[in-house]
Amino acid sequence: MSTSCSILSGGLPGYILVAFLLFIVGLGTVLVRRSILVQFMGVELMLNAANVALLAFARFRGGDAQGTVFYLFIIAVAACEAAVGLALVVGLYRHRNSTDTDRADALKL
Amino acid sequence: MFLCFALITLIGAVALTLQRNLVVAGLCLVLSFMGVAGLFLLLANPVAAALQIIVYSGAIVVLVLFVVMLLNQHQEEAPVRSRPLQRWISVLVLLALAAGAFRLVTRSPLLHSLDHAPLPPPMTLNALGNVLFNDHLLAFEVIGLMLLAAMVGAVALVKRDL
Repeated sequence: MSTSCSILSGGLPGYILVAFLLFIVGLGTVLVRRSILVQFMGVELMLNAANVALLAFARFRGGDAQGTVFYLFIIAVAACEAAVGLALVVGLYRHRNSTDTDRADALKL
Repeated sequence: MFLCFALITLIGAVALTLQRNLVVAGLCLVLSFMGVAGLFLLLANPVAAALQIIVYSGAIVVLVLFVVMLLNQHQEEAPVRSRPLQRWISVLVLLALAAGAFRLVTRSPLLHSLDHAPLPPPMTLNALGNVLFNDHLLAFEVIGLMLLAAMVGAVALVKRDL
């Protein structure tokens, strides 16, 4: 009884569960959808799930600023990844005239 | 309050997965990021919440929507061949993963022991700046250099004849 109460009222297990579920939905988006742009959004969801878990643990284990500094570096890397990843998407579209990952199969055996 | 933001986050994420229109999918992504920012506020971390809104819901989603409109592909294309079996297997596997995550979280003694620790004061921009520029100055400069390299790389990739 106390576990379900802690999850619903915003204890640490609740945040970790939300992070898990967000990661699973992002993974499902990457695996099930075919458009490379939606897959990219799924990757962003997975990154956010990691951030939620990181900041929840940082809060419940002392709450010093190191966790937030690490979060700052993570979003800087995510911004780099977004810029380069979207440039690759534009390159793929120019090359194949399609954003469907099933059609980009030139390296497939 | 926690339940409200958690539901916003997860509903946005699920709507993104089920949405056919790419522009609407990008707006679902904004909804999900806003929910995550609300979770950060509840974690007494307004700095992270502001960064989340500015960088994710601001910059990254705008970049994604810009590319969606640039490519003029608002709908997902018709599949090369439909794979109904794989689709259902993936849904089942993801549901099993979710159930496993729920079981793992509810039965973890470590998480519950941490849950009862006394909570620290909220994060302030002052504390963050002190730690960032005293302990992590080199990493901060390297991140700046990396952002520059990513920008140059993106321009080089998109430009047709460099």
